[in-house]
Amino acid sequence: MSHSIMIMCEQSGGRILPVTSELISCANLIAAHCHSRITAVLPGLNTDAYSIPGADLLIINSPGLAEYTCEGWEMAAMLAAEQIMPDIIIIAHTSTGYDYAPRVAALTGSGCITSVCGIEFTGDNLTYRRGGFHGKLDLQYRAGEQALVITVLPGAFPSYDGQTEAGMTSIINADIQLACTSNVQFSIPDQANTELEHAEVIISAGKGIGKAENLQMIRAMASCFNRSAIAGSRVACDNGWIEYNAQVGLTGQKVSPQLYVACGISGSAQHIAGMNGSKTVVSINRDPEAAIFRYSDICIVEELESFIPEFIREAEKHRAE
Amino acid sequence: MKILVCIKQVPDQESRPIAYQDQTWAGYGDNTSYWINRFDEHAVEEALRIREIIPDTVIDIVSIGPARVTSAIKRSLEMGADQGFHLFMDSDAYVSPSIKSRLIADFCNTREYDLILTGVMSEDMMSGQTGPMIAARLGIPSATSVMKLEMNTAKSCIRVERELDSGHRCSMDLALPALVAVQSGINRPRYPSLSNVLRAKNSEITVIRSDASLTGPSYETVEKVQDTGSDRSGIRLEGTTTEKAARLWQILHEKSLI
Ligand SMILES: Cc1cc2nc3c(=O)[nH]c(=O)nc-3n(C[C@H](O)[C@H](O)[C@H](O)COP(=O)(O)OP(=O)(O)OC[C@H]3O[C@@H](n4cnc5c(N)ncnc54)[C@H](O)[C@@H]3O)c2cc1C
Ligand SMILES: Nc1ncnc2c1ncn2[C@@H]1O[C@H](COP(=O)(O)O)[C@@H](O)[C@H]1O
Repeated sequence: MSHSIMIMCEQSGGRILPVTSELISCANLIAAHCHSRITAVLPGLNTDAYSIPGADLLIINSPGLAEYTCEGWEMAAMLAAEQIMPDIIIIAHTSTGYDYAPRVAALTGSGCITSVCGIEFTGDNLTYRRGGFHGKLDLQYRAGEQALVITVLPGAFPSYDGQTEAGMTSIINADIQLACTSNVQFSIPDQANTELEHAEVIISAGKGIGKAENLQMIRAMASCFNRSAIAGSRVACDNGWIEYNAQVGLTGQKVSPQLYVACGISGSAQHIAGMNGSKTVVSINRDPEAAIFRYSDICIVEELESFIPEFIREAEKHRAE
Repeated sequence: MKILVCIKQVPDQESRPIAYQDQTWAGYGDNTSYWINRFDEHAVEEALRIREIIPDTVIDIVSIGPARVTSAIKRSLEMGADQGFHLFMDSDAYVSPSIKSRLIADFCNTREYDLILTGVMSEDMMSGQTGPMIAARLGIPSATSVMKLEMNTAKSCIRVERELDSGHRCSMDLALPALVAVQSGINRPRYPSLSNVLRAKNSEITVIRSDASLTGPSYETVEKVQDTGSDRSGIRLEGTTTEKAARLWQILHEKSLI
């Protein structure tokens, strides 16, 4: 069995972004088991890339691809797929990747597996791993008879450092015209929360705190530590308990304190993406199966409202000594 | 305006999935509660807000699943949606989003919706595929992770604002018909009003059998379901609440964190 693997480069303003190298690493893992041709596709306008290690490069150049649009990227991917005839298409699971990848799967008649975080071989059998059931179980998928589109979680594969030389480069000058999308405008976030960047200890509140009044308890816990700050999950921010600029995760801040305490947070992949660099992680959750425990050094199965006050009493007792 | 909202019913996230003996899939016990996927509740709410601005709007709800999903459809009607459609599928096994999207796209074909709303993902499976796939099958534009939706006055397009990574945003106009996958934070879903609860009591949910359409090309399948490993040391503290609190303090103290 041999594969034709197509990778969609992640780019910004014509520059190939580092996560692309993780996709190439994923493709090369497959290629190490069964003979594969790997082609990386770069949609854009006047890109400055000429070659890429570990893959052939196909540049799709068009005025319609000056910036990311779902419509433009779908057309570029379809154009490339016609040339490459891939049986596996690999796309990064980023806000651009998950926007158009399922569409490419539907249009090419492929199956689709999103947020892949690992691949495994048993003999010739290639399986793709991702979490499911609220992140409580690992699922191993395999391709059906149809081709397959996968999106790969950033950070799940190492950057490609193989010794293979860069492959061949070809360019298609296309005329991609957007019919349904107009007035595309990008904007950057409000001021970042530097408090979280500098904090040594972050006490983070999730939906599990239940109500705004319980924030008091989270603050009191934070004040047991020096150089501490409070933060929250997306749901805590959506509920108005925590400011959005203190949201930790994929669409929020990436933090890496000495100590991260997750209070009533379930541990979705999008939250983990923002805090997995923390030195020590403590989680307090009443659900013994909660996915957050998988990413924790110290796991505490408890109701927050009984545990946190108890911990604060303990800390105060020692402080008084 | 004709709006379709696609809703999925999901198990309570604190319930425990139990892998089947043969490890091909997992299920839940009989006492498990199910409700509307949180992201889909935001989608229903967004549809209701559009109807408040454009009064002649009709909001249909569609859900694929076994008999129990009628309660999720009912809940959307109680929130204020007009009509419910249940694409009945008597199975809790894995159904590829490729198939679910085909069923919903087929359902849409003759109904001519101006706008289709989905959640950005389902809480339990987190695939985020069904929405964009429906749009691709219907040949209409889509946007995911949408935090803001505005109708333009001519009603020929909508302005959406997508949330990108690290808090960046991107806005654009999409020609109608279009599909929008909404992100939480776009709105606060309302609680059903008494009058809507009473109205929903009398409304019929149209059931369409869809098991037959499961045949077709073979897409990805789940081969194995297993417990997750741990990425970290994962020590579980034991004892009473007080003992655990004391033990946590001690560990943190030893690490010079407190
Ligand atoms: C594109 C995209 C981007 C996203 N970006 C982010 C992001 O940047 N950051 C982020 O956090 N999320 C993000 N999310 C949302 C994410 O998928 C989850 O929905 C969210 O993280 C869940 O927040 P939570 O853990 O607080 O709530 P839930 O998932 O509802 O979990 C609550 C937890 O609290 C526990 N609990 C409940 N009551 C108690 C109690 N009394 N005592 C103890 N424990 C209790 C429950 O067992 C449960 O585990 C994103 C989603 C998408 C689709
Ligand atoms: N069984 C279903 N019935 C109706 N809509 C669904 C179903 N499954 C998923 N969807 C829709 O597709 C969105 C994304 O789901 P998923 O692709 O499972 O992550 C959900 O938020 C729903 O709006």
